[in-house]
Amino acid sequence: MSKKEKILLKASIAFALLFAVAPAVNAMHIMEGYLPASYCVAWGVICVPFLAAGFISLKKRLEENRKSITLIAVAGAFIFVISSLKIPSVLGSCSHMTGTGLGAILFGPSAVSILGIIVLLFQAVLLAHGGLTTLGANTFSMAVAGPLLSFSIYKLCSGLKVNRKVSVFLAACLGDIFTYCVTSIQLALAYPSEAGGAAASAVKFLGVFAPVQLPLAIIEGILTVVIVIGLESYARPELKAIGFLKEAK
Amino acid sequence: MIAVDKLCYRSKLRYVNAGEKFAYSMLTLLFCIMSRSFALSMVVLLINSILTVGKGGLPLHRYISLMAVPSAFLILSTLAIIVNISKIPLDGYALPVGAFFITGSKASVLFGLRLIVTAMAAVSCLYFLSLNTTMTDIMAVLGRLHCPRIILELMLLIYRYIFVLMETASAMLVSQKARLGHKDLKTSLRSFGSMGAALLIRAFQRSVSLYDAMESRCYDGRIRVLDEQHPAKPSEIALIILYELVLLVYTVWRRVA
Repeated sequence: MSKKEKILLKASIAFALLFAVAPAVNAMHIMEGYLPASYCVAWGVICVPFLAAGFISLKKRLEENRKSITLIAVAGAFIFVISSLKIPSVLGSCSHMTGTGLGAILFGPSAVSILGIIVLLFQAVLLAHGGLTTLGANTFSMAVAGPLLSFSIYKLCSGLKVNRKVSVFLAACLGDIFTYCVTSIQLALAYPSEAGGAAASAVKFLGVFAPVQLPLAIIEGILTVVIVIGLESYARPELKAIGFLKEAK
Repeated sequence: MIAVDKLCYRSKLRYVNAGEKFAYSMLTLLFCIMSRSFALSMVVLLINSILTVGKGGLPLHRYISLMAVPSAFLILSTLAIIVNISKIPLDGYALPVGAFFITGSKASVLFGLRLIVTAMAAVSCLYFLSLNTTMTDIMAVLGRLHCPRIILELMLLIYRYIFVLMETASAMLVSQKARLGHKDLKTSLRSFGSMGAALLIRAFQRSVSLYDAMESRCYDGRIRVLDEQHPAKPSEIALIILYELVLLVYTVWRRVA
């Protein structure tokens, strides 16, 4: 073994060890303090219109029916709990769902934007997943971009009369992948590569997180389908109450 | 169930004025990411660790394991920043792979290290807040900062229901495991999904009875809670102002220089 090969071998062992001790691979939350201050502010500002829209629709919903506050609250708690539980995974490392795809399908993207920022705040404070300065960037990728895509895919598929299971799977899975792409681009814009600029950097971030995120997206899709099947068989009245199933005519 | 939430109730700094702790951690966090300086971050990391472990009385091993939570993200993304694949070797290091080099410049390696230290210092600020302040106190501070009432009310209810639902979920997972519901990937996917569905159904039912319970206690669209008052000590305020001024001066000096 040459000297270089030895170094390479040692480096790869160290790398593997780091993964063994790394306690949990989260859905891509950008950690506290990782983005420069200007980017934190910029992403926060981009979120404002979406949050305002969510806030207005929430207010309208509460004025129509004050009872829905507890329903919306437990929906938020549900998203937090489902995203903090370890899910079965292929690699043996523990990983988490985002839960926002399911939320968007069930409650609509405007409710999820407000619930999302609250859940992200709790995740930052209680679990140290994400952070306070990166709340804006994380809100954009996980509570705005991902759910919006999930919701539009779901609506598009049901418009095209695709099987509901297939459309739920596509919505949750692609929403997850989209969240991961947006996060990679956010990181790449903040840290453009020395060789090739932001585009090369985006490819690097996508590549580094792909082994974790791609299987995770598929698992998230499958789990969301199983949850929706369970709900359809046991909770039809509740699903009608939140407007997920249309009233039978 | 959530370690941070349990630990913050045991902290010796729990009854220090919440606004004071909030202001301290937010300002320090701000200067950390504004300056991006190695020295400042090391000082902040050290002082926050002393405050949380020494003053707050958190066991050191718990603190270290909590600080390791974001390590997977930190390692992966810093690797993506300092490792380049290019045809031209850069000045830091270069490993030839075929016609290309896995390479990086000295500046970027230094930058990556500085980023790690800054991020860890920022995480220590976040932990100072969350390990010494209860969530209800943080919400009271947000209320004084004029966060919309509906959002605060939702936060209060969500915070309460996180624990209710978590308990339900873990009970369901235990009973599934006792019935070999997680013996391989396929069964565990099915079990986890059915747990999620059952959890959501329980949550909906709970939400109805929660509203009834609130209504029977005269809920009129507003949840009123009393928060405990712990006035801030002038000496603590003076120390915080002094510390933040030093950080401010250093940050400005670094930006100018």
